[in-house]
Amino acid sequence: MAMDLDVVDQDGNVVLAAKGEVDLYSSPQMREALLKAIPKAASAVGVDLSEVVYMDSSGVATLVEGLKATEKGGKTFCLVAPSQSVMKVLQLSRLDTVFTIKETL
Amino acid sequence: MQVDIQLEVRSDPKLMRSIRGLVKSYVCQSGFGEDKADEVVLAIDEACTNAIRHSYQGEQDKVIALQVVSEDAYIEFEVRDSGQSAPPENLMRKELEAPNPEDLKPHGLGVQLIYEVFDEVVFWPGEEEGNCVVMRLNLPK
Repeated sequence: MAMDLDVVDQDGNVVLAAKGEVDLYSSPQMREALLKAIPKAASAVGVDLSEVVYMDSSGVATLVEGLKATEKGGKTFCLVAPSQSVMKVLQLSRLDTVFTIKETL
Repeated sequence: MQVDIQLEVRSDPKLMRSIRGLVKSYVCQSGFGEDKADEVVLAIDEACTNAIRHSYQGEQDKVIALQVVSEDAYIEFEVRDSGQSAPPENLMRKELEAPNPEDLKPHGLGVQLIYEVFDEVVFWPGEEEGNCVVMRLNLPK
């Protein structure tokens, strides 16, 4: 698989960890997992991107959708330890300041 | 001018990873650092996925043509499809600013990424059908 996903419960909150390449082929899977996980979180959703080696605009769009859906539900959304590749595409898209970025949830 | 690479790839998202590998390899070999190579990979990926999603509306049995030519001073990529022509207003360069989170709309990001990465970009939507984007990168001196 070019991308692996792991959904982890952390004290009632949810961390979705993606690993590998998030592109047009794999991002729908991440989107589905994220939208499913959001209602399960007590108050916070994190997306761990430390092991994402590639992300394109479809991956970015998924993160944006996750941010909006989470905040609509009154919860907080953050990116956890995004890799250099992820930061690069966020910076190129001028979306790096839109997300809360943390080292851990 | 030399045609270095000329290939046709089926419009399947699953195949984009292979194209990325080829592009990265080629750009590094042309004398660019890995950072720049990664940017070019992203932009070419965006050009191809625009062809898949928009020109071909997700159909996976169509053809995307990729050509790379080199000159002394630059390398130039061309991505061409024969699907629905893109509306010209979608192909214009816009100033990307940090958006207000309320009206976050990351559509059209791909086109803007292409403009950010290359030194010269020309989009040619066909008159009746098809699109072509030519992207030029000046070689390091």
